[in-house]
Amino acid sequence: MAEFVKVSKLFDAAVEEVWKLWTEPEYVMQWWGPDKFTCPVAEIHFKEGSTSLVCMKAPDAFGGASHYSIWKYTKIVPLESIEFIQNLADEKGNKKKPTDVGMPADFPEDVRTLVTFKRVGEDKTEMTVTEFAHFGQMSHFAQLGLEQSVGKAAAVFGS
Amino acid sequence: MNFRRDVFQAISDPTRRAILSLIAVGAMTPNAIAGRFNSSRQTISKHIQILTECELLKQEQSGREIYYHLNPEKVKEVSDWAEQFRELWEGRLHHMDKILKSMKKD
Repeated sequence: MAEFVKVSKLFDAAVEEVWKLWTEPEYVMQWWGPDKFTCPVAEIHFKEGSTSLVCMKAPDAFGGASHYSIWKYTKIVPLESIEFIQNLADEKGNKKKPTDVGMPADFPEDVRTLVTFKRVGEDKTEMTVTEFAHFGQMSHFAQLGLEQSVGKAAAVFGS
Repeated sequence: MNFRRDVFQAISDPTRRAILSLIAVGAMTPNAIAGRFNSSRQTISKHIQILTECELLKQEQSGREIYYHLNPEKVKEVSDWAEQFRELWEGRLHHMDKILKSMKKD
């Protein structure tokens, strides 16, 4: 497994507050759903070995389908890091194959997710979310600068 | 038929990624590609075949030689696919920032 997605953000907040975004259902419900989606369910069992159930619901204009995910916590270091495995699930929290819940077959399964919290200053916290997947080769692509190379190749072959 | 999964299988192998990086710089003949690796020609030929089957590579005949070159469209398709997952998280981080700001007001 290798890095698949890695995003960071510096928040104007103490690490204790940023941490709560992951531990308090009321906050999870406000951020899990993408834009215009809602998150009607966030059953958070924030403990190593336990599993949380979250749901994102599409807007009615997009069919209003609900997509459930489970996060199984593998390691929690208070105010430092959270590690969990993401999977698609049914409404009871049973793991499902992407195709079973109407997602494309290439939707990643068993996505190991690492969230780290770094106190950068008073009321300043840098949070980084990294998703690892079996096909993490994508980041390898990025590391190789292949996109750039592709541009060059396109220029060469396009002429 | 799920061609994307095939593409991911294709790029899951380090030798095949090395071949892609080589060819990204310029079109190459199968012999020239094989010459850059310690593996047998047969092995490299199999890798090239897999990359061609999933359309990451394209063949072009030039005189008596076959040249392989990268298919930029296909590579872009793969990187676009990964990009949507990154964008999803970027959106969430944006939401989190808003939540933290409203926590302060409470």
